[in-house]
Amino acid sequence: MKWAFLCTLAAGLPLLGGAADEALAEPAPTNVNARYIIESVNVLGSESKALSKSLRAELRQVVGANLDSTRLEKLASRIKNELRVARVKVHVTKGTAPDHVLVNFEVAKKPVDLKVAKFLYDSKQGWSGEASATTRVAGNAFTLGLASDDDAMLERYTGIRARFERDSLGTDRLGMSFEFEDFHEMWNQATVSQDPSGIYRSRQTFEPEARVVLIQPLELDFGFRFARFQPSTLGATTESSNAVVSTLRYHQRWGSGEDVQDQELEGSFSVDAAMRLLQTDADYTRQTAEAHYKFRRDRSRVEVSFMAGRTLGQAPLFDRFVLGNASMLRGWSKFDLDPLGGSNVVYGSADYSYRYYQVFYDTGAVWDRPQDRDQKQSVGAGFKKEGFQLAVAFPLGGPRAMPVFYAGMNF
Amino acid sequence: MPTRPIKTWWFFAAFLSGMLLAMLAEAMLSEDLILQHRNRRLEFSAPRTDFFAGQPMVRLRNAAEVPFIIKTTLFSGKKDHVFISAVDRFIVSFDIWEKTEKAYSVVKVEAPRKTAAHLTAKDAQAWCLSQMSLDTTGLSGSEPLWARLEVRAEDPPRDGGLLGDSVTSSGISLTSLIDFMSRPGSQPQKTLEYPAFTLDQLKPTRGS
Repeated sequence: MKWAFLCTLAAGLPLLGGAADEALAEPAPTNVNARYIIESVNVLGSESKALSKSLRAELRQVVGANLDSTRLEKLASRIKNELRVARVKVHVTKGTAPDHVLVNFEVAKKPVDLKVAKFLYDSKQGWSGEASATTRVAGNAFTLGLASDDDAMLERYTGIRARFERDSLGTDRLGMSFEFEDFHEMWNQATVSQDPSGIYRSRQTFEPEARVVLIQPLELDFGFRFARFQPSTLGATTESSNAVVSTLRYHQRWGSGEDVQDQELEGSFSVDAAMRLLQTDADYTRQTAEAHYKFRRDRSRVEVSFMAGRTLGQAPLFDRFVLGNASMLRGWSKFDLDPLGGSNVVYGSADYSYRYYQVFYDTGAVWDRPQDRDQKQSVGAGFKKEGFQLAVAFPLGGPRAMPVFYAGMNF
Repeated sequence: MPTRPIKTWWFFAAFLSGMLLAMLAEAMLSEDLILQHRNRRLEFSAPRTDFFAGQPMVRLRNAAEVPFIIKTTLFSGKKDHVFISAVDRFIVSFDIWEKTEKAYSVVKVEAPRKTAAHLTAKDAQAWCLSQMSLDTTGLSGSEPLWARLEVRAEDPPRDGGLLGDSVTSSGISLTSLIDFMSRPGSQPQKTLEYPAFTLDQLKPTRGS
């Protein structure tokens, strides 16, 4: 009996010793609150549906777990990055049950945000830029911006843009916006020589729109666009282009910048119909389908874009399709492709970037008549970091492979 | 002239009171850092300095842990000659469910790792400083010495990127950029210095 007891003791001693060593190897948590259980997690001041699925899943995982302030700070940082807001504060309070805590992520938007939305130097078109100031009062956002852009459209438009936006009208599923633009135009000689009667000196646009969330993540924007423009021809009266505008939009994101990989898919289909009913001078319908897919894994990123559009009727120059700028069919000049733009377009693009290095391939065609359709291609390379970009693009198959340099941000 | 003696008297009174005030101020300032010498170790305390105050306290009351870096230095012979110094990291937290003032816990991170719990804010700070004593072996009692205590709360984690969060896909936010550039480099550091002294001048509180 005594031997059995000694044997049992001898066998048990290493086990006891091992357990003690393990306990010593794992130090106690440094935060005294780590013993408390998280009762609930809320994101205050913003719609949690705006967060990616993976982040929402991680927020749910936190509930029922022990409080980990470092983890909560990381989550706050992710929320801030995904919502693009000024600050997200973690607020921890006592829970309703003993030894439980409530966690609130308080989203603070900037009261006034000054923003340079676009800045571009194009070695063929020159400078373009856009800046704005936005202030938010009681759920309403007021934006006033200045723009001078020779890149996006056929004309260089310079002037102001004012916007009022409310994200929620009684329910988060309904929002509205009013946008007003007043621009003065400058034209390239290639456009002027081809259609001197189509150009205009100034353009004012007023666009009231409503946004309805149909089924997350599917949204519908619908409203009107009232445009007035003053033709450059002497003695010409002001013309109008008033249209019903609607866009069906899809935006889904899987993962976020904090994960090893993330994906994002955006798609939209829009129809703009300028009708006599709205006292418009030109009767036309414009349909556009667009899709953008982004995939990132570690430092590698692939972006694929596609656009197709067609116009039935004669649209004014500001509503015609353009390729050959800093974002579509880079390397080509829009005035070499079609100085008046086109009523039909098909475009595709593939970008690959590793860390700061980027290569891309663009292809597309813009045309009015089927026999004019001519597919163009271009390739390019550059550096891209935090929205800043420096790139050189070469047109392929053209008479002269003259490269175009782009430098700036968010173009 | 009857006014001259009065003016002279006022002049001396003002001078003397100024001197007294200066001495009092110096005495008060030097008392912010209190040194004791026992068992060949120089011990630091600063009962009138609250290094939890301000932003660290806001973080503590929000159930976050706040790391503090504490450094003690002893200079000998000349004020720029470091005889010995010690640096350690203390992680402080505040128990949000604790009903009494004894809600603070401290973990001394560097080996030997130590923990103290159920402390008031004052006691928690005193405990941190009590871990920062310096060995005075090799110093004579008459050698001129200077002492310094530095305390800094570690910054909370920040956004990565060259320009913080000011650049997004929707543009560069000048407001965020101004905010980013205006941020202080780190949490303010509290530095307390003890004027010239010798070990013999310190109260003889040597242990048995």
